[in-house]
Amino acid sequence: MNRYFLYLVLLNMLVNVIIFVPNILIQYRFEGAVMGVLIAIPIGVALNYLLSTTINKFPEQGMPEIIANSKHRWLKIIHFCGIQWIWFTAGLITLVGFIDILDRFINPEMPKMALLVIYLAAIFLIIQLPTDRVMYFLEIVLFLNTPLIAFIIFKAFTNDYLSWDSMLEVGTHIFERPSLKSIAAATYCFSGYTNLIIFNRLIKGRLKIWNFFAVFLLGIFNLFTTFFIPIGFHGSDGAQEFQYPWISTADSLRLAYSPIERVIFLFLMFYMSITLISISVHWHVSFELIKGTFKEKISKKKNLLILIFYAGCSVAGVIFLNTILLNKITVYWMIVRLGFEILLVVIFFIWTRRWTA
Amino acid sequence: MKSINNWKSLVLALLSVMLLNGCGFKDIDKRFFVVSIGVDTAKNSSKKYLVSLKFAVPSSSKNNPTEFMIVSEKADTMSEAVRIIKTKVDKEIDFSHAKVIVFGDEVANQKGNSGINYWFIRRRDIQSIAWVAIGKPSALEVLKVQPKSEYIPSNALFLALGRDGSETPYTISEYLFDFKYRLSERGLDPLLPIIKAEKEIFEINTVGLYNKSQMKLVLNPEETKILNFLRNREEKSANRVTKGKTVIIIDTQKVKTKYKIYTPRGKAPYIKVLVSIEGILEESTRRVPNEKLSDYEKIAEKSINKEIEKLLVKIQKANLDPIGFGLRYRSRHFNNDDWEEWKRIYPTIKFKVKSKVQIEDTGLIE
Amino acid sequence: MPTNNVQSIKESLIHKLQQPEDLVFKENHTKEKYMEVLYIKSISDEDVLLENVLKPFFEITSSKEFLDFLQSHPKASEYECEQKTIDMVMRGVAILFYQDFVFLFDCKMDRNNAVMDTTVETTIQGPQAGFSESLPVNLGLIRQRYPNVSLKVESTTVGNLSKTKVMILHDTKFVDPDTLKRVKKFLDAIDIDMFQTGEQLFDIIKKSNRALFPLMLVTERPDRVAINLASGKVILLVHGSSYAVILPTVMKDLMSSMEDIYQTYWIAKFLQILRYTAFNISIILPGLYVAVSSYNPELFRVHLAMSIAGSRTGIPYPSFVEVLLMLFMMELLTEASIRLPKAIGPTATTVGGLILGQSAAEAGLVSNIMIVIVSFVAISNFVVPINAFSFTIRVLKYFILLLATIFGLVGVVIGFFMLLAYMVKLDSFGEPFLTIIQSKPSKE
Repeated sequence: MNRYFLYLVLLNMLVNVIIFVPNILIQYRFEGAVMGVLIAIPIGVALNYLLSTTINKFPEQGMPEIIANSKHRWLKIIHFCGIQWIWFTAGLITLVGFIDILDRFINPEMPKMALLVIYLAAIFLIIQLPTDRVMYFLEIVLFLNTPLIAFIIFKAFTNDYLSWDSMLEVGTHIFERPSLKSIAAATYCFSGYTNLIIFNRLIKGRLKIWNFFAVFLLGIFNLFTTFFIPIGFHGSDGAQEFQYPWISTADSLRLAYSPIERVIFLFLMFYMSITLISISVHWHVSFELIKGTFKEKISKKKNLLILIFYAGCSVAGVIFLNTILLNKITVYWMIVRLGFEILLVVIFFIWTRRWTA
Repeated sequence: MKSINNWKSLVLALLSVMLLNGCGFKDIDKRFFVVSIGVDTAKNSSKKYLVSLKFAVPSSSKNNPTEFMIVSEKADTMSEAVRIIKTKVDKEIDFSHAKVIVFGDEVANQKGNSGINYWFIRRRDIQSIAWVAIGKPSALEVLKVQPKSEYIPSNALFLALGRDGSETPYTISEYLFDFKYRLSERGLDPLLPIIKAEKEIFEINTVGLYNKSQMKLVLNPEETKILNFLRNREEKSANRVTKGKTVIIIDTQKVKTKYKIYTPRGKAPYIKVLVSIEGILEESTRRVPNEKLSDYEKIAEKSINKEIEKLLVKIQKANLDPIGFGLRYRSRHFNNDDWEEWKRIYPTIKFKVKSKVQIEDTGLIE
Repeated sequence: MPTNNVQSIKESLIHKLQQPEDLVFKENHTKEKYMEVLYIKSISDEDVLLENVLKPFFEITSSKEFLDFLQSHPKASEYECEQKTIDMVMRGVAILFYQDFVFLFDCKMDRNNAVMDTTVETTIQGPQAGFSESLPVNLGLIRQRYPNVSLKVESTTVGNLSKTKVMILHDTKFVDPDTLKRVKKFLDAIDIDMFQTGEQLFDIIKKSNRALFPLMLVTERPDRVAINLASGKVILLVHGSSYAVILPTVMKDLMSSMEDIYQTYWIAKFLQILRYTAFNISIILPGLYVAVSSYNPELFRVHLAMSIAGSRTGIPYPSFVEVLLMLFMMELLTEASIRLPKAIGPTATTVGGLILGQSAAEAGLVSNIMIVIVSFVAISNFVVPINAFSFTIRVLKYFILLLATIFGLVGVVIGFFMLLAYMVKLDSFGEPFLTIIQSKPSKE
């Protein structure tokens, strides 16, 4: 099922709008973001290729099953406890960020807690499903949303007010020294593949080379859209003034003949579900990794404890993180994430080499 | 029975939310929709602005048209004005349908308006796709106009600015987000249409050019039309060509403008503007034989060249750049101080306009 | 197989049957022969008995010949054990005591064997006949449409008291053995006193006994059964019910009408899209109305917002009460028109739908737009071809409505996706209920 791999990658590409990738890139647009993006593309595709081909040697097995027979149980527990944080925090940042967006644009008078409650209810319903069902749900969400998001992007590209000169102006800063922050942010678009360490359970057979080619093309298009479209609408000098560049961009589009004239609402409605499934996928991975640390089947009580822990973290996140702080944290989180990701891929690669040798 | 537990907890969560909920729910009939906002300078007062909001008052029956109501308030800032207006109306003010923002003539001419400009952008509930315009003689006068043909307040303005209704080359409409973009982008200056209020109709055929803080130049209708050509935004117009005693009118079908900035070493920099116009002959005072059409084309080219150059020089003299030559220069140069360079170059740059007119058709008769 | 204790069997049987009013015990004599007949006259067909047993009894003179006749008669079988015999008597089998033999003679009265027209799953084109209420007739109908040796028929009984006969049909070439095993295990595990029809399985299938979605398809159309057999499904036929149960069932089956294969390709596709759209509309629309008119009126164009605001002026209560009121009225109308005799049904709908709606709007109880929405919802609901599923949808919209009232637009969207997630979670005998690409479980 090669398409499942693409879904996972595509999901991250879609959701980067919420998790501050455009903000970070636009912030450094004159200080090396363009070069950063160009460097991020080969890094992203290479990591994609390495992990997927490595894990491909274990068809229909997730990381917990692969390492299940390992003798070093403690090592395993430390490993899983360590890496599951990356997925958990990825979900958490998306969740807190999107709750903030909803509170700002859709329900300004509603307490954030109320929005959080309904999101958590839906997320908890999804993450407890078996892995294949999560994937089916992801497929349905993408099926319903991607055509319409593609339509919005098409509308943006053909808009009269999109200024190619402004985009080119940013493009002329290509030779600036790339900043680590922008590379880290740009590689996030590619990092959907990391979910494979659980979702490999569904992947039968080898991944064909055209998958990586598709990832490459999609990645270029996605980064270009994420980075440059807001600049085209809000200017090379003005775009960084926006808290959420993409949402303001969506607000700048007008569908003259649709019953819903303001694209921002369509956009946010689509992203409600995209964000939901993105958080669910991340947390599902994290949840399964925690489950993998226990030898026996997980009891209902433990299950509940984990969920309460998740809920507690998100409540704390919503209370203590305001947008500006969250934005700052995300920048550093991106760097840590990139480091961890490379570490994970390399260690796993070496381990497999030894194991198969 | 995991699923049952899930549902139970869900219901519990919902109930608890019900208890802490209570705000946010406001029925549509408890809201007062602002359809247009006007900002004027306050007269005979220590306050800076006179803010007027035009509300639509929905009518319950289909037969009588929706009425409107204008509430004005003097204040130094927008937020204060809105807070005070809130106390004057019985329902919650809802800005989400405010589709037109009108600045009074005097406001446009004075400096230091960035506070209110940014207020519109900062508010989440004001659409970025609201139209911005300048009102003459004042914004309030523009809001007060009620054309006979409209059945929703300000609908006539929506149609005129949105080009859903009449399409004319004399109107340049401007969205709020684009206004903000032009205010901040170096090398591209804002421009706003000017709405003249007459008794029961509007006249929107001139445009005001801004530098980064205030209105500097007002173009007349013909110049507005040419500016529209240069921006590649409008293609249908009528151009008058005179040759001796014959006057012909060319109805343009297709107008394409390209420009390129040349900075040859050692020579004076210049901008080459290429305009290609395709049109049909719509009216002429005398019979024009088909063989002679190319003569008229030549004359039309010459007169258009002159007009465009005159306009460009006029804009250049005022040190404005509504077309974006500066941005074009920046986007084609890789060095970091390109903007400073451009600021040096622009006041002395020459324009070389070359137009190509093609009369494709003479209508139903020769 | 002659037995010696015919007398004791006879007495024991009569004793066990407790001599009901309609029990018949008759002795027949001719010169040479003597025979006793035992049956319950209300469920046994006396004509069959007369034609097949009694007439020959008097026509065949030799007692040996009559014994041969009985032994070779296709409807007669020999006595095996007492319990089984009692069960058979209770189903209308007659017991013949002849010489040293005890025969069970099948003369079950087969009532309700008329083939009925389809009334629930109607189509414009294609076959119009449905099932009858008789098991053999139904089996015959299916065999006629599916004349293949690979069609396997097994039978079992369900119900502690009713002991209803249930036939399990499947095509051995196509069926997934795991699914078949699950179905059989499920049927064995059913603990219910009275089992009358396949619809009762809806609740039993969920272990919690509280199901919202029908996880099996109940149909009255033999053509649907035949086509499902060919696609590897398992069919249950229940004695006394004119509906067959198709297992496993997924969302796609619930949204398909037999008409899909009786129409040209694009028309069938168009109809399917129409159905899914109607499904979404009838779930979302009431909630969306509340969310948009009370939380986010900026979603509309200004013209629409004005006319909704206009039509809502003077309505004394919030939008969700308005929606609930109208939906409640509509549910009452729908229920009433099912219960009413066919002759009055349309009248009730007209009175309720037209007059009530019109005057409710005029009296200022609800807005005009509300009436449009409610009728839209009601009509969309009836587009869904499978009745059991359209009942589910009727309930689902209240869930969305509740979330919309509390959370606004977010509630509508997240609520809708929660429903989807729930449907994805469900499975019907191992087959996931909702996926985009319905892949068959691999048969390796």
